[in-house]
Amino acid sequence: MKVLKVSGWTIAAFVLPCLFLYVCLVFAPIIVSVYNGMLDWNGIGQSKFVGLANFEKMFTNDSLFWPAVGRTFLLAGFSMLIQLPVALFVAILISRFVRRTGFLVSSYFLPVILSVAVIGQLWKTIYNPAPMGGMINQILINLGLDSWTHSWLTEPKIAIYAIIVVALWQYLGYHILIQFTGIQNIPADIYEAAKIDGASGFKADRYITLPLIVPIFKISVVLSFIGSLQSFDLIMVMTGGGPANATNVLASYMYNMSFLSMKYGYGSAIASFLVVVCLAATVVINLLFNRLDKRFS
Amino acid sequence: MSQSVTLKKEAPVVKVRNKRRVSVGKIAVFAFFGVLLVTQLYPLIWLLIYSLKTNEEILSGSFFSLPAVWQWSNYSAAIESGNYWKYLYNSGFVTIVTMVSIILLASLTAFAITRFRWKYGQVVMLIFLLGMMIPMQATLLPLMLIFKNIDILNTHLSLILPYIAFQTPIAVFILSGFMRTIPTEIEESAIVDGAGVFRIFGSIVLPVSIPPVMTVCILAFINIWNEYIMAATFISSEKLKTLPFGVYSFVSQYSVNYGAIGAFLVLGALPVVLIYFLLAEKITKGMVAGAVKG
Amino acid sequence: MKFLNRKMLLSAMAGVLAVSLAACGSSGNNKNDTSSPAASPNASESPKASQSGGSNEKVTITFQNIYPDPTDPKYNMLRKIVAQYEADHPNVKIELDSLNTDQQKLKLKTQAASKEVPDITIVNPAAQMKPFVDADLFAPLNEMVEKNGLKGTFQEGILDYYSFDGNLYALPDGNNIALIYYNKKMFEEAGAKVPTTFEELVDTVKQLKSKGMTPIAIGEKDSWTGSFLFMNVLLRTNGGPGFLQDVLDGKKTFEDPAFVEAVDAFQNLVQAGAFQEGATSFDYNAGENLFKTGKAAMYFMGSWATGGIETSTVGENGEVGVFKFPTVGGKGNPDEFMLAPGSAFAVSKNSKHLEETLDFLNYFMLNYPKEAFAVKGAVGVAQNIDEDFKAAGYSDMAMEVLGMFKDVKGGDLAFDNTMNPGTAQVHLSSIQNLFVAKKDSAEVGKEHQKGYEENKE
Repeated sequence: MKVLKVSGWTIAAFVLPCLFLYVCLVFAPIIVSVYNGMLDWNGIGQSKFVGLANFEKMFTNDSLFWPAVGRTFLLAGFSMLIQLPVALFVAILISRFVRRTGFLVSSYFLPVILSVAVIGQLWKTIYNPAPMGGMINQILINLGLDSWTHSWLTEPKIAIYAIIVVALWQYLGYHILIQFTGIQNIPADIYEAAKIDGASGFKADRYITLPLIVPIFKISVVLSFIGSLQSFDLIMVMTGGGPANATNVLASYMYNMSFLSMKYGYGSAIASFLVVVCLAATVVINLLFNRLDKRFS
Repeated sequence: MSQSVTLKKEAPVVKVRNKRRVSVGKIAVFAFFGVLLVTQLYPLIWLLIYSLKTNEEILSGSFFSLPAVWQWSNYSAAIESGNYWKYLYNSGFVTIVTMVSIILLASLTAFAITRFRWKYGQVVMLIFLLGMMIPMQATLLPLMLIFKNIDILNTHLSLILPYIAFQTPIAVFILSGFMRTIPTEIEESAIVDGAGVFRIFGSIVLPVSIPPVMTVCILAFINIWNEYIMAATFISSEKLKTLPFGVYSFVSQYSVNYGAIGAFLVLGALPVVLIYFLLAEKITKGMVAGAVKG
Repeated sequence: MKFLNRKMLLSAMAGVLAVSLAACGSSGNNKNDTSSPAASPNASESPKASQSGGSNEKVTITFQNIYPDPTDPKYNMLRKIVAQYEADHPNVKIELDSLNTDQQKLKLKTQAASKEVPDITIVNPAAQMKPFVDADLFAPLNEMVEKNGLKGTFQEGILDYYSFDGNLYALPDGNNIALIYYNKKMFEEAGAKVPTTFEELVDTVKQLKSKGMTPIAIGEKDSWTGSFLFMNVLLRTNGGPGFLQDVLDGKKTFEDPAFVEAVDAFQNLVQAGAFQEGATSFDYNAGENLFKTGKAAMYFMGSWATGGIETSTVGENGEVGVFKFPTVGGKGNPDEFMLAPGSAFAVSKNSKHLEETLDFLNYFMLNYPKEAFAVKGAVGVAQNIDEDFKAAGYSDMAMEVLGMFKDVKGGDLAFDNTMNPGTAQVHLSSIQNLFVAKKDSAEVGKEHQKGYEENKE
């Protein structure tokens, strides 16, 4: 039970500065976006109010929209189901086996700091066709697996997975760091106590680490979901959403619509959809973790 | 690379270990660490080599090749024409002001949401959660209008304000997640001692919250340091531009000087990497310190 | 919501924010106050300067441009002219906001939405600049070009692409044509001849391919490159220019046989393996570089590429030749070219120093050809240059390109300069798709028609 009962003025002093900035610069633009989503507007000239027409078209008569939604969730799914468990596993291993953890954890984190421009350029040279010096294809050829070579970033069915791999790789260290922090925060005496009860090693992880890491893991899940919804830079650098929209996700599709096709109203409708997805996701993630919390305790 | 990681079997937290499994299992584990280390460190090495190549060597794309002649001139080009020092100063200024503000504002809010007894705490939290996943690009036009009206276009304020605003949701989310777990006895005893709300916040809760604050710092930092779209849109004066401008200043309509971009990227990442590695130990230590109270 | 005007909403929001900023004085705010007045001369000077352009008043002109690369000759050229002007007019300061092309486009669109266009900015011709003109953002330049005889320096007809309803709104930096550069040495090694028809071109491609060479380089991640080539095919199969205009006028549709034939021919080229593997992930520069480093035998591009190719490895060895885009199926005239009027300088109508800005732009454009000539960037400049190119050291290849300009008997503009942005995006991604998948060409026509109708205004 919360014990601090304070005056309205105190609450205002604590909350208002932050809330105000946020409401003006993030929340208000969202509302404006929703309104813009109801306009037929090129972003520059006269606008026309068209009600829900943009949304209707988006949901029912846009052959590019749903595939972009699908790819966004594909990215989120891979991130949550593969990247996060791997990160957790590595974090556990590090905290069990490594004494001076700083260097290792920091090194794993390195790709996150580097600009997407670097990451994109690097992976392009990795994915390039063999004659252009592409690493993967050259290795495959050296292994005699010529038939396995692909033009990774330009075959429509493969390209999105090629990008997902990069995203997973780049942010692995990010999640390792977060989970590792979480594990470090588990008091040592709990493990001591468990040892007396005969639980050690991986058994201790199963019964102590996993349940106690849940809150931090939730942060990871949320962050990975945000990252997936906002994934934009990497796609723009690597494929620009192409070939022929085969790697467009929601954020890049919104950008292309608003600023290249100059359908700002329609782009805003897509942005509004992103907001709704975010709301739903927040609720779902919270419910899921509440249930998880209960199960463990 | 595994020399740097001492193979002592005593870990600080988990002291329990099955000794017979150690020999085989440990080798496997450290081999795994090693492989991971190579893949994660490789980009930096690649970038260093890249930054010393000529344009044509870079674009010919041989993956493992070294430059024929080491192009140190890329670095002088980056520093001189890329306005490195000025941009570095601007980036540093914007980033530091932003981070300090975020920490202060978000922790105040998180404290109020989690520790005060008031009706609207959850509502406020929900409002913040709503904005957590908004892509910046969607807000460019409205922000432009706002900044035009309050006349702060083309000042650092037009970067700092949206950077703060966009990072607060996740900061509030993380900090309140942590503060919720601090036992209420702390406040109870503080109140008995006659401490006011601000003292409870400043000298009890905030110090304890250093680990999540660190996390927030890192998250905010990586989002701000390389941010380009807003910077390019709101800043026009040469003397106010930030590091990402330098990177993109080498990309022009029909020619690109990739080597200099590489050099600039190295120079741009250098302070970050240095600071990060220097502070890494402190960050983890800070986290462990926080754990004792948690 | 209907009655709530967007602007009202925003300015209300902004007002509240401004008040709070003044009141709350957060750390960010305080620190910045000291630096911001000096840092934004625009904002602080604006009220008084707007009344008259008195010559003693300090004036800052913001010049948004797309030449941020110090290794680009235009970068130095721009700064040289600016420095000269500033020396002559000590009260004027030209603030250069140099951005890369994509970012400049995004920034200008964002600025246009809030009527915050910089004093001088850069736009593309015809359909691409129309939305800005429609929104009444640019100042007419009709009077300004008459001063100092500036109008007479421009080539015949080029200014039409920047004029709307009898008003001129921008001055171009270039006027280019599309052509094919080829590597003579690689052609020799493969025993290939310069093709005179499209069918021969496809054979040449196969021949080069069989020798293990990349026949044509392209940077199709920037999808306008492939579109530019495709439109040249269409210019031939249509038997002459004006296909898109006919579509706009309702005389033709994209399901017209000429269009379908162009798609077929284009697909023949792609299917023959003309382009490098993974072409859609190469951006403009990476694509061009394949040709510049002798890794590809041909390169289809606007004549603006001449300068860069001249100074590249293959250019310096004198290995590069050029030829006109050939006839397709016996149709078309090689002397009709894809025309590429360049990006152009426009002046903001709401400029606080309109008079000074116009004066500067006049000076800038008068000096442009001379300076461009000096840095060997004069191939494809939009203004007349009566100089001896040969004597100034321009290469044989550059001379050949210059010769080609004399043969021009009309042509078409690029797709995105003719159609509105929405239709253009449909087209660009449809053509990009041909690089990775074989399509039924009638389907491609239908796709275009559907996109066109959906985006019709």
